[in-house]
Amino acid sequence: MGVFNRIFVRRFYVENTGFFLVLFYFLFGVVNGANLLYYHMGLMEGFLSSTGFLALVLGLWLLYNFKCIGFVIKTFQLPQYSFLYDTMTCMADSERRPLWMRLHFRMYLPVFIYGGIAAVFGIYKHYYIPAGIILLFNIAMCIWPMWLYEKKLWQPDVFFLTSWFSRWLNRLFVKPSVLYFYYELFTAFPRKIFTTKLWSAAVLWLTFFLMGQSDFYDVRALQLGMIVCVLLHTQLMIHHRAFDEIYLQFLLNLPISTWRHYCRVVGVYALMLIPEAIILYFQSSGHFTLLPLLTSIITGITMLILFRVLLYFPRMNAEVHLRWILVISFILLFMILGDVTWYAIGVMHVLAAVIFFRKLPEYEPWIEVE
Amino acid sequence: MADKVITMESVSKNYQDFAVLDIPKLELSTGIYWLKGENGAGKTTTMKVMAGLLPFRGEILLNGTVNSRRQPVQYRRLINYAEAEPLYPAYLTGRDLLELYFRTKGGDRAPVFAMATQMGVDNFVNNPVSSYSSGMLKKLSLVLAFVGNPAIILLDEPLITIDTKTLAQLYGIIQDSHSAGVSFIITSHQPLDSSQLTVAGTLTIENKNLILN
Repeated sequence: MGVFNRIFVRRFYVENTGFFLVLFYFLFGVVNGANLLYYHMGLMEGFLSSTGFLALVLGLWLLYNFKCIGFVIKTFQLPQYSFLYDTMTCMADSERRPLWMRLHFRMYLPVFIYGGIAAVFGIYKHYYIPAGIILLFNIAMCIWPMWLYEKKLWQPDVFFLTSWFSRWLNRLFVKPSVLYFYYELFTAFPRKIFTTKLWSAAVLWLTFFLMGQSDFYDVRALQLGMIVCVLLHTQLMIHHRAFDEIYLQFLLNLPISTWRHYCRVVGVYALMLIPEAIILYFQSSGHFTLLPLLTSIITGITMLILFRVLLYFPRMNAEVHLRWILVISFILLFMILGDVTWYAIGVMHVLAAVIFFRKLPEYEPWIEVE
Repeated sequence: MADKVITMESVSKNYQDFAVLDIPKLELSTGIYWLKGENGAGKTTTMKVMAGLLPFRGEILLNGTVNSRRQPVQYRRLINYAEAEPLYPAYLTGRDLLELYFRTKGGDRAPVFAMATQMGVDNFVNNPVSSYSSGMLKKLSLVLAFVGNPAIILLDEPLITIDTKTLAQLYGIIQDSHSAGVSFIITSHQPLDSSQLTVAGTLTIENKNLILN
């Protein structure tokens, strides 16, 4: 049944190429080739000999399994795949259930192979119980999702735990407007936000690595790293503008002052740098006091706000936007090197507020005419 | 002036170089108005301009005193709008939107909840809007249009998508609100049922101008 393989398995690997590349890099790319085998043997011995470590590894494999299951369930919910209900329900149980297992096994295969090697290694090293647990766990991971797929197939409107949980949450919690864009990113474009954050974390890690190499910890170097992080986030802004234009038009009919609209934008971009703030705090480990860390984060947030607000010039397309961003970053860099960061922050805030308060009331999307 | 619910003076709207609306002067007293026009005549643009969704040149006053530019927040408390094809972020629930509208527009919750129950919106209010059919979404947007204490409600094509039972209920709700002093501008390609609604006048868009017949 090649068609099902294409619909589920091939799409799964194609759509998660980035995820697998990153995973592959962390598992096989960060270690010197000569030490790779010993690195993995050490890793396996680590989780085979420690119950806590083993539980953590099994937990991660379970998360990967949820990823596979979620992909299949989501495919069923896409309108273009609704024909699966008509076709798969016509198959005999004896044909369909093994098919589910084969499809799921192929998606789970990377973990199954690694788990299998770890189990064999465990037996070789006389860790019989952990090896048995790993084998049984991985076999169970290949079998039990079939029950979920069958349930979804026969009851397309079935509420799974997540749906039930989200309905329960929806009754308790009203989403604040400052989080709308994050819901959009995490539900519709998770890859975009995760890759941005991953690159941003990598830049900060590299910044600290280079400072550590030269044993020269300077707040200006930290801020340079922060500028690069902000530049990585600018791709989200064009998306943010499109989201506001398409979905949040109705907010303009609500009696919300321009000041509150501005606070929403500030809130969105202040929240955006929370992961970076956490990384800075833990990476600095005594090299910086709180003030330089705070200065760097506020610089980043201010830049993000100003760059987003620039998009309230209707003719500001992605290309022109990028040019302005680079010009402003260049000027800012020199102001940072000249130790006038707080003046730069103040100027950027005033500029952002002036642009927003002038442009929001008259803003409407610009239609490019050929 | 006080009995004029909406006054438009020298209102014009361009999409870049293309003129869409040019209304020298229009005053409407309290009432229910049917806004007619061919496809592309500018009905939705007119409504969006009135609702404060689109920037424009000129002045719009509500109740003779509240200016759309000088009192933008107060203005939006007095005018509500339901889109022809409502679009909301997929993950928001009906309840999220109702709470947002209550928080900003204010007003009494009880009649809105009664309307929601009457239309069956309460059955799916805790689900994300991505799971709604077009009819359910339309009902939700109509309920939202009645939140707060509006002087005027703009309903863009309210008769499409909804079932006949809901349609009868909607006519009743409009009539009741109108009795309480709320004005309506309703666009529709179908004539409004004269046995259900007393229409004060018909608005047409001719040569980019909005004319009261």
